[in-house]
Amino acid sequence: MTGLEWIILLSKLLVIYLTIVHVVPIMIWVERKGAALIQDRPGPNRVGPFGLLQPVADALKFLVKEDPIPNSVNRVLYAMGPFMTLVPASLIVAVLPVGDFFEVQGKSYFMQIADINVGLLYLLSISSLGIYGILFGGWASNNKYSLMGAMRSASQIISYEIPLGLAAVGAVTVYGTFSLREMALGQEGTFLAVLPRWGVFMQPIGFLVFFISAFAETNRLPFDLPETEGELVAGFHTEYGSMKFATYFMAEYMNMATISGLMTTLYFGGWHLPYLTDATLLGWLGGQRNLLAVLQFLIFFFQSCCLPAHFRLGALDGAAFPL
Amino acid sequence: MEAFLPVLVLLAISLGLCVGIFGVSTLLNPRNLPPVATKLNPYECGVKPEGGARQPFHSQFYLIAVLFLLFDVEGVFFFPWALVYRESLASGGALLLAIAVYMGLLTLGLVYIFRKDCLEIM
Repeated sequence: MTGLEWIILLSKLLVIYLTIVHVVPIMIWVERKGAALIQDRPGPNRVGPFGLLQPVADALKFLVKEDPIPNSVNRVLYAMGPFMTLVPASLIVAVLPVGDFFEVQGKSYFMQIADINVGLLYLLSISSLGIYGILFGGWASNNKYSLMGAMRSASQIISYEIPLGLAAVGAVTVYGTFSLREMALGQEGTFLAVLPRWGVFMQPIGFLVFFISAFAETNRLPFDLPETEGELVAGFHTEYGSMKFATYFMAEYMNMATISGLMTTLYFGGWHLPYLTDATLLGWLGGQRNLLAVLQFLIFFFQSCCLPAHFRLGALDGAAFPL
Repeated sequence: MEAFLPVLVLLAISLGLCVGIFGVSTLLNPRNLPPVATKLNPYECGVKPEGGARQPFHSQFYLIAVLFLLFDVEGVFFFPWALVYRESLASGGALLLAIAVYMGLLTLGLVYIFRKDCLEIM
């Protein structure tokens, strides 16, 4: 690789990765403000305009908090836990296509960190590695509630991985490829004369299954059983304080951001607008659309956060297999 | 393998981010606070912890994990089929029949699991 290619690779990495990282505080703000709106209370309103700087203040507070390590923990695994969830959550970002391509000095570069030909399989396999961090954290804490919370998290995540993967199989049959970039390319234009050629219209049932499993994978309501505050304190991260807790939190939100990105790629045309082909739009306008679509999805995640629905754990795990 | 190079760079960056976060946090943490014995106990709703956490617990979790492993490995076989689905339709439906038989076998296994009540957690 030449110097220019290295520079372009690094800038792609930084832009896409840091976008996902910085979506996290925005998501937290939208979640809290949205929940406040639905429940008719003010929500965060002290720090900055509309409480927008609240996540920044939270992060600062996490940084300067004391980090107590309980006596009974297994120190190595306890410290490794947050790393083990954050790193896979970051690695998934690599295969999300945020746009078609851009040109530098006559050469075109894909707007994707790595165009792997098995992109979908890579994504599914890396995302399941995050469970290790949860189990490490729960077991190393040497706390009964943490251990139970970790087991619940793990059993929920692995149960819903099967329907998630099988829904993705449906998408693969439509596009005939594993590369997420080619999948997004295949969703340009219309079919049956009226509908946009989006995965959600080609595969409505697959989308529904994928959507439900995505909620369960990211532990959002109504699938937040691993967190059951009344029974288990807070689940696997009860014993964590300071920045270690914040890291778990960040990994959770990054998983949400990337799974919304995957959903956009598989079912909402990636960077394609309905009825408008790339030729009609200028190439650079497309990337913004993808981000917009991701954000729309996040808002959806949070609205459902306010649905006061709880399922029994057994019912949940049982429901995964028919899916 | 060239395609995986950016992934390695991303791995390095994310590890760097982790180390950076913990480094800054370690620098800014308050030190030498007076040690309080109860603070370093496991937090179990304020009740004094009784016994260790690492005791035998419900084996249903283990069963769920084993079933996941089985179905995940079986599910992997759908992926290569899905990749050649379009071409196989063009050259007659032999592959469609094969996957239908395979799916029938999977469904039999699923029915067996339900009949045995393996997915009930009490």
